[in-house]
Amino acid sequence: MSGGPLIVQSDKTLLLEIDHPDAQACRMAIAPFAELERSPEHVHTYRLTPLGLWNARAAGHDAEGVVDSLLKYSRYPVPHALLVDVADTMDRYGRLQLANDPAYGLVLRALDRLVLIEVAKSKKLAGMLGDKIDDDTIRVHPSERGRLKQALLKLGWPAEDLAGYVDGEAHPIELADAGKDGRKPWTLRSYQREAVEAFWAGGSGVVVLPCGAGKTLVGAAAMAEAKATTLILVTNTVAGRQWKRELIARTSLTEEEIGEYSGERKEIRPVTIATYQVLTSRRGGAFTHLDLFGARDWGLVVYDEVHLLPAPIFRFTADLQARRRLGLTATLVREDGREGDVFSLIGPKRYDAPWKDIESQGWIAPAECTEVRVTLTDAERMSYATAEAEERYRMAATARTKLPVVKALVDRHPDDQVLVIGAYIDQLHQLGEYLDAPIIQGSTTNKERERLFDAFRSGSLRTLVISKVGNFSIDLPEAAVAIQVSGTFGSRQEEAQRLGRVLRPKADGRQAHFYTVVSRDTIDTEYAAHRQRFLAEQGYAYTIVDADDVLGPKLPTVD
Amino acid sequence: MTTSLADHLRSLPDESLAALLQLRPDLVVPVPADVSALAIRAQSRVSVARALDGLDQFTLQILDAARLTRNPDDATTATDTVLAMATSGPQPPAPTAVRAAVGRLRALFLLYGPEHALQVVPAVDEVAPYPAGLGRPAAELDPRTAALCADPAKLRRTVLAAPPSARAILDRLAAGPPVGSVPPGALQAPPLGAADPVLSDPTNGGAPTGSPVRWLVDNRLLVPVTTGSSTASGTVELPREVGLLLRRDSGPLGALRTSPPPVSAAPREPKAVDSAGAGQSMEVVRHTEGLLEQLADEPAPVLRSGGIGVRDLRRLARAGGLDEPTTALLLEVAYAAGLLGELEMPGTTTGRYGADQQVLPTGGYEVWRAASLAQRWEQLARAWLTMTRQVGLVGRRDDRDRPITALSAEAERASVPATRRAVLGVLADLEPATAPTPDEVQDLLDWRAPRRSRGRDAAHREVLAEAAQLGVTGLGALTSYGRLLLGDLTSTDERGDDPLGVHADVESGDPSGAARALDALLPAPVDHFLVQADLTVVVPGPPEPALAVELEAMTELESAGGASVHRVTTASVRRALDSGYTADDLHDVFRRRSRTPVPQGLTYLIDDVARKHGGLRVGLAGAYLRSDDETLISEVLADRRLESLALRRLAPTVLCTQYQVGRLLGALRDAGYAPVQEDGTGSTMLARPRIRRAPPRVSVTTRTVDPLAAPKLPMPRLLGVVEHIRRGDAAARAARRAPAVVRGGAPGLGGGPVPAHTHSEALAVLQQAVRDKALVWVGYVDAHGATASRLLKPVSIGAGYLRAEDERTEMLHTFALHRITAAVVAD
Repeated sequence: MSGGPLIVQSDKTLLLEIDHPDAQACRMAIAPFAELERSPEHVHTYRLTPLGLWNARAAGHDAEGVVDSLLKYSRYPVPHALLVDVADTMDRYGRLQLANDPAYGLVLRALDRLVLIEVAKSKKLAGMLGDKIDDDTIRVHPSERGRLKQALLKLGWPAEDLAGYVDGEAHPIELADAGKDGRKPWTLRSYQREAVEAFWAGGSGVVVLPCGAGKTLVGAAAMAEAKATTLILVTNTVAGRQWKRELIARTSLTEEEIGEYSGERKEIRPVTIATYQVLTSRRGGAFTHLDLFGARDWGLVVYDEVHLLPAPIFRFTADLQARRRLGLTATLVREDGREGDVFSLIGPKRYDAPWKDIESQGWIAPAECTEVRVTLTDAERMSYATAEAEERYRMAATARTKLPVVKALVDRHPDDQVLVIGAYIDQLHQLGEYLDAPIIQGSTTNKERERLFDAFRSGSLRTLVISKVGNFSIDLPEAAVAIQVSGTFGSRQEEAQRLGRVLRPKADGRQAHFYTVVSRDTIDTEYAAHRQRFLAEQGYAYTIVDADDVLGPKLPTVD
Repeated sequence: MTTSLADHLRSLPDESLAALLQLRPDLVVPVPADVSALAIRAQSRVSVARALDGLDQFTLQILDAARLTRNPDDATTATDTVLAMATSGPQPPAPTAVRAAVGRLRALFLLYGPEHALQVVPAVDEVAPYPAGLGRPAAELDPRTAALCADPAKLRRTVLAAPPSARAILDRLAAGPPVGSVPPGALQAPPLGAADPVLSDPTNGGAPTGSPVRWLVDNRLLVPVTTGSSTASGTVELPREVGLLLRRDSGPLGALRTSPPPVSAAPREPKAVDSAGAGQSMEVVRHTEGLLEQLADEPAPVLRSGGIGVRDLRRLARAGGLDEPTTALLLEVAYAAGLLGELEMPGTTTGRYGADQQVLPTGGYEVWRAASLAQRWEQLARAWLTMTRQVGLVGRRDDRDRPITALSAEAERASVPATRRAVLGVLADLEPATAPTPDEVQDLLDWRAPRRSRGRDAAHREVLAEAAQLGVTGLGALTSYGRLLLGDLTSTDERGDDPLGVHADVESGDPSGAARALDALLPAPVDHFLVQADLTVVVPGPPEPALAVELEAMTELESAGGASVHRVTTASVRRALDSGYTADDLHDVFRRRSRTPVPQGLTYLIDDVARKHGGLRVGLAGAYLRSDDETLISEVLADRRLESLALRRLAPTVLCTQYQVGRLLGALRDAGYAPVQEDGTGSTMLARPRIRRAPPRVSVTTRTVDPLAAPKLPMPRLLGVVEHIRRGDAAARAARRAPAVVRGGAPGLGGGPVPAHTHSEALAVLQQAVRDKALVWVGYVDAHGATASRLLKPVSIGAGYLRAEDERTEMLHTFALHRITAAVVAD
């Protein structure tokens, strides 16, 4: 028995025991072809997927190498059938090639004629392929490149894309790591550099890093690598402005070179930051702002929070296959299950790091997650029990009983800055009154938001109640405590994003606290369990306590 | 001819005869009466075909050479002639190899007689009509063709003149077999001599071979033959002379290869092969267990035509996450291993008796499940090797276009075990960890026993695929433990001289060498797990039985294989509580088994579920006791023997105690009450589900002998058989050879009284025989007046009596001289 750190399961999951001395080497060996699925504290789970194996082929790994690494690190015998399957799957990649033909432009070329015949007959490809040039070559319209690749992937014959990328309009961008305008010099963190290198080597793709781990810098470094005009797509205006601030501080770009394309301003500059919202806004049934994609010869398109990419943008992304695309996210879990589309249109996952690894390196604050269970009053239970099914979650989540618990939690951390996050506006207003704290919600103007955030950042405001708008892309470095009272049902990525609000490393290395207040024995508890899954898989151990323990000293028990 | 082989056999020493019987064991089933019978049987078509089946390609080619070099006059050949022909090709084999092949053929008595006058057993010609794929000599076919062949220069000119399409046909027929059939009408040529352009014959329709064939026939290169029924579509034969001319590049026998074809692939890492195979073995055992569990939960009905239906197969495949062919294979193997059986379950589908057979695990399944992983695999693999089922047929259609179902009689093929062994034998004979491609395996089989492997390509590939699927091979090479298993089975066959089963270990409890070898490759069972914050429990290896039971009770399996990943959910904890675990038990299990700290979330989950479990009453009571009978409740409460339970009355009909249910139940039962445990719904809890099992079946692995293979005979038995034949032979000789004068001279048969001179002559003969120690035929009248003739070896004569040894009984007898009617020296 080799005693390796890896256990290969017959359902194509790989279990990596991370306390094993060879674990690090093994991770390096399997990372190119296996996808990290879960990374709890002791055993990480990777999965062999066709997509992952094909990406490995695209990156130049062959089946023999994959099998060798599996056999080398495996603790137990690896089933023969699995090895055969790996080889077969990898063999399917690259039988078809997308290439630039000097005479015909973009063509689909077959190294295996039978595959081309099979594929050309498929209904799924109807209309994507042009005329047949010869037995092995079919012309493809450049605009179908993305859709064709996506469809071929679904047919199980992924094409090797040799058509390359356009360089776009050149624009000098450098990282200002020597310090700019009197700031201290800095360097990219090791994982950020690895992420950029992996992205650049692959051409296009998605980088997954925890919230607060500096994804913006990965974007900036990618831009410095591309040295071309860049389109950055973000979730909202506030996030866009954060990007702008960060880019000005960390790169050679100046205020004038960065444009904002949002509901308020429509600037198109060498680096343009646009919101998803404005791009998907319609007038008379037509998307009026999608011309932005063609407004300049963009050399790089950055998708921030790519897990939120709205469906219309997907469609237009399919047209952008000749441009380099970088997706950034902390949580590539979409509740609509369209992770696959993100991979095929933006590009495969190029880099992924377990949250706990980055935490142990000190780049994000260590966090303690606690679920506080509140027992509803009899009256509340009665009304919950008799409520309609669709009303139940709202009833349970917005129970008044939660208010004193939230207050007690806020009081527990008198020296920390506290965010109270919820989904229901009524509840937030109640909380605002109860805690005497300002509220940021969808209807709050950008100006007011900026003001409140600035006050919070400066420390003059200690407690802030925010609605769903605070889920993403707000940079509040000193927030150390987040209290979640209600959410969007069982959304896993929302939970992770909310935790991300308090993960910025604190100046004094303090621990972050993340509380979830749920109503006991209701659907709220079930949703909470589902929401916690992603973070639990990243190794965040939730502690569950009773509200009574929070509200006061433990009551003496009576037999 | 027959007698001459018989004479030849008779003249052999016993050991040589025994050696023949050992090489051709089918000759002694049943034991022949005498040497003549043995000779007849040895020349029978069936036996000769069997002997030929076992020969490799080279030996067969040498046999062909012997047949081709037969002298037309006396049909004999000589070793040197054979050698000359075999080495006449461009790449002649070593003469020693040829001589060795001739030796093998002689040992089998396919060739017999002295070196300079070897005879071929005639049945060879019947079994394989065309030696070396060459046709009959032209002289036997057609005089005009013979005339052409007699003129080599003209023959060569004619062959060279053949149009390309005709030449292609010639080449194909020259490679053998030398006969081909042509479409009807193709040979109905216009009269000879008429202008007949080859390609523009309108009567030919579109038949592609028609015209060139006619050209060849017209030019006497092919001869139309009529063979019985196949006259309708014409048959043509290529004369031997033409075939030899076409083969002048490769030699008359074609390419000769004295050793098996080499394998191109370099040997793999033996460890990798074993590892892949062992991994697959684990899978097989796991999947089989899964399938059997599935069948235990929901038995599959047996179709009226036998086997289990396609729908059930599909259901099992889906439940096990397998494809249907694999499911069929595992089912067949499990059935052959005695793990599955049928049980009569009347009334499940129809009311008819005997119509409701269902397939479900047998009692043997429990035993199997208790064995170690390696032993379980071994039982399956042995069953596979010996089972007479061709699983590849499942899912195909039979002659009547009906689908062949798993476990049905249609998939029964008696020859499969031999095929499996032949294929695996090829792998076993290679260097360890050599992985030949299926084509190479086929080539090797073709060389080893061309007559047996011909046309069985698909079956061989099937065996290879099944072997890979069952983990007998890994990465295409035979695993080390697979080799042991194979060797084990082969030696069981050869262990014929072990009638008492002293060495038998198949049925004994000790693991065999194969199981031990596999065991060393498999992960050792572990007794601990790792609990993680996301409530997954990782068992880093196969769990110990006790641990497996605990995990099955309180977790849900997420991923299986070498290790297993389980998840603790509310539902699984509840299930554990339902099946009798208490919250404390669960905490204890996790504390005891986990190598890592138990996350607080898990502890909370268990407590939370336990809190809600069992009804609405939440309190400190560990158990309650209720009854509709208030008096009974009062009686229990007042019972002093139950004081230790500290029962408390909650309601007139309900008592509770702080102790757990188990203790309350036990105490009540000890005190003579009859309590029944109930769950939250008030219904009684069944402690243990009833398990149904089919009656035990005998595994085919106990059938160590391949049903088709002839019995292997140990030397002592062989010599016994030889002796038996000899004695029969002697008896027959005695019956046949007694000279007429001895037989006819009997007085009771109408002949006159024995003439005195005959009597004295007989006496003289006997006296001479005593001196010469020669055998004499003696006519004799016994006490009842019956005559008999005996072959005797006289020892002495005196006092009116002859003492002689009876040839047949080898005993000394005494004969009254006056009763001897005649004596003739035996020749």
